[in-house]
Amino acid sequence: MKAPFSDYLKSIKKPLQQLENNLREFYEYVSILATDSKGFSLRLSQHAKAVSSETMTTERGIVIRVMKDGLYSEYASNDMNLEDISSLTEEIKNQLDQQLQVLKETNTTIYETGKLEDEPCELFVEMECEELPETTDLSKLVELFTTISNDTVQKDKDIVDCIVYGQSTHVCKMFLTKNRDLAQSYVYSEGGINVMKRKGNQNEFGSVNLAGRNGPEIFVGLKDMADEAISIATDLLNGERVIPGEYEVITSPEVSGLIAHEAFGHGVEMDMFVKNRALGKEYIGKRVGSEHVTMHEGALSAVDVASYAFDDEGVLASDVVEIDKGILKSGICDALSAKRLNFKATGNGKRENYAHKAYTRMTNTLFEGGNNTLDEMIASIEYGYLLKGMRNGMEDPKHWGIQCVVDRGYEIKDGKLTGKIVCPLVLTGYVPDVLGNVTMATKEAYTFGTGGCGKGHKEWVKVSDGGPYLKTKVRLG
Amino acid sequence: MLETLLEILKESNALAWEVTNLKKKSWEFYFIRHNLDQNRYVETEEYIVKVFVGDTNTMGSASEVFYPKTGKEELQKGIEQLLTRASYVQFPYYDLNHPSNIETQVGKEPNLEEISKQYISLLQGIQESESEDINSYELFVNGITRHYLNSNGVDVIDVYPQSMAEVIINARKENHEIELYRNYVSGTCHKEMVEEDLLKTMKMGRDRVIAQDTPKMEPIPVLLSTQDALDVYTYFIMQTNTAYIYQKVSQVEKGKVVVEGKGGDPLTIKVVKELENSSRNFSYDSEGAPIHDLTLINHDVVEHLTGSRQYSYYLKEDTFNGQNYVVEGGSKTEEELRQGRYIEIVEFSSFQVDPSTGDMFGEIRLGYLHENGETKIVTGGSISGTMREFVKTLQFSKEQKQYNNFLIPSVTRLENVSVTGI
Repeated sequence: MKAPFSDYLKSIKKPLQQLENNLREFYEYVSILATDSKGFSLRLSQHAKAVSSETMTTERGIVIRVMKDGLYSEYASNDMNLEDISSLTEEIKNQLDQQLQVLKETNTTIYETGKLEDEPCELFVEMECEELPETTDLSKLVELFTTISNDTVQKDKDIVDCIVYGQSTHVCKMFLTKNRDLAQSYVYSEGGINVMKRKGNQNEFGSVNLAGRNGPEIFVGLKDMADEAISIATDLLNGERVIPGEYEVITSPEVSGLIAHEAFGHGVEMDMFVKNRALGKEYIGKRVGSEHVTMHEGALSAVDVASYAFDDEGVLASDVVEIDKGILKSGICDALSAKRLNFKATGNGKRENYAHKAYTRMTNTLFEGGNNTLDEMIASIEYGYLLKGMRNGMEDPKHWGIQCVVDRGYEIKDGKLTGKIVCPLVLTGYVPDVLGNVTMATKEAYTFGTGGCGKGHKEWVKVSDGGPYLKTKVRLG
Repeated sequence: MLETLLEILKESNALAWEVTNLKKKSWEFYFIRHNLDQNRYVETEEYIVKVFVGDTNTMGSASEVFYPKTGKEELQKGIEQLLTRASYVQFPYYDLNHPSNIETQVGKEPNLEEISKQYISLLQGIQESESEDINSYELFVNGITRHYLNSNGVDVIDVYPQSMAEVIINARKENHEIELYRNYVSGTCHKEMVEEDLLKTMKMGRDRVIAQDTPKMEPIPVLLSTQDALDVYTYFIMQTNTAYIYQKVSQVEKGKVVVEGKGGDPLTIKVVKELENSSRNFSYDSEGAPIHDLTLINHDVVEHLTGSRQYSYYLKEDTFNGQNYVVEGGSKTEEELRQGRYIEIVEFSSFQVDPSTGDMFGEIRLGYLHENGETKIVTGGSISGTMREFVKTLQFSKEQKQYNNFLIPSVTRLENVSVTGI
């Protein structure tokens, strides 16, 4: 079925077009983004149970962007009186003028930016899904999650708890300017199992997840994932600390994705180019990785949780080849930064929600697959680790350092897995070294879409990332 | 809309209900260098509704956010759906908070215009040089009104300011340029604190430009003297959280030592109702429980617990969700802690202590390695370890420093930390 576009957004389209028309009397550029995204989240464990209609991306609100004399300003609210457009026009103008007064009093200068293009475009997209979060039978899902949790804790006396969670969101967004009339509707879902085991005073969590641009039907897949979560928790309890140092490693697709995300995901967000905060600006056309490294970024690069038709600035989605056989080809760019850099926007202008500013943000970030098998890669390592499970990471676009917290490493000695486990691990390195040392990659690549991505320490958005198994060299601590 | 919503809830079959009406006005300014990139005005309102069904043995709940101008019919439909969804889950009964006799004063709406002016003037007035300057900054000045009501008759309002300045500092030498990240959160503009810290950060920037790679080394004492140390103390606070205890993540008991094997300086942590210019000086927590001063840990021994109503009720604790924390100073001065061989790390990519496992990580962006009577400025590599080991010898300074809603020892010392050098 097609995910139906919001009736609410349809109902406010005409008054919003009227508002856009009114505001154009006072401003050189006007755009409107209206959102109405519904969903649910379920979280069940032995000790806590919660049902909510909120997810990371549920929202209903409107943000208006205007430009005058080179200054872009925004007015965002979820309580606009659309029955009196004249008064609303005045209210928006008054509020923004009050801020301009403060800028005048503080002798603030403006970072002048030209008028955004407004190429005519009409688009109405309702993407396919099997189920909608609004109509899903939550009682059945609660029953499924409860059964998984109850059965799992029975399997091992050291299991303290088994948390099963899932959230599904039906995203609806409408973007309007004088010449653009865009509407999209799609559903994405994510879920997982966290098994908590304890040995003495040590707690460890074995986590498995699934996600996709699908409806809540994907949660059935959790049924077969609990054993893996138990096994991971057991590995973590039995793991040793790694001896700090540099090692040959094979990164699992999930860890490869984390590296892609932190290295040349954040590293080529071009709003950072405008501020001179990213080294990538100076490396376009230069080698940043081995010939085994090709990397894509874009809402069209994969079908996952961040695969939309247009971004929050009304730019159509794309698939950008950021690195081609080791050469840095392109960054990703929001509309305003593109204007400032004389670049073509790539459809990566995203907001945490309507109430937040748009920045250049990632969507689906992934390495391309290679020609090797995992067995070949393991056999090629004299001493090193197979790294699995990602926890989190931190970008450093200015210096190309990388910090990835990885769940666990499986020791490889003389081309064979020994069964010894080290955990948890902090993977660090200089990005061109990490990518320059990539010598092998498996054919199959996968993306992972659970969790969120912040810019610095805020502005959380949905992204997916991934790749194949990669062989490289990193520092582990 | 609030009246309609309450009317529907009162007439419904809900065993209990709670409503939080959250209003937020925000003035935002984004700068590249000192030029305004964008200004934003944001005004939002939400009605967060939670309904409970069941009896005094077991109950279930479900929650939803309603937006302004939702009509009566849609509200009725929404509440009906919530009641149905609440019946899908079951957990032991708990009683919501009851009205208290404590008299509190509702704060005034903050003057966003004035606070914005103070921030802009402050940032524009920071003394820069050719080698150190401000790259960019983002200012968020919020006025928040939180009105909480529940079916037991609690009806309380908190009005408060909340502001944040995210500042990026650059330092350079010849062709080499580095950046340092700072994020200041407070109630209103905390001029002196931000100014002092930014000047100190610029000095750190000068050092980072000339920093060498962190060498490989044997385990070493690590000193934390920035807000990264908050994670160390949050680890202990979370052990006293009623949800952590009920869900068996924490094993603490009142009257016993907070973490097995705790040694070093005796640790005392208190919840306080107010800290100067904290963004969390609330009279009530988010479930309408009045906030007051409370000692959580006294000389390593757990004295009281803090946490949400549900898990506190299960543990028979009449408590609340703490917002501001004071960690008392230790036995030594900063100077006494800075003795012998140690590395003082003042900038990480992201320092983390997982409160549920105690795992600790951080990539070093700037550190000062003190060894053999010399000080080396270092960058790169990482530290790692577990709080389960570090608690045995944890030391902290007599002197304290405030970071928004935390007043903590200004220097924290962890022994025997594993460092991955380059």
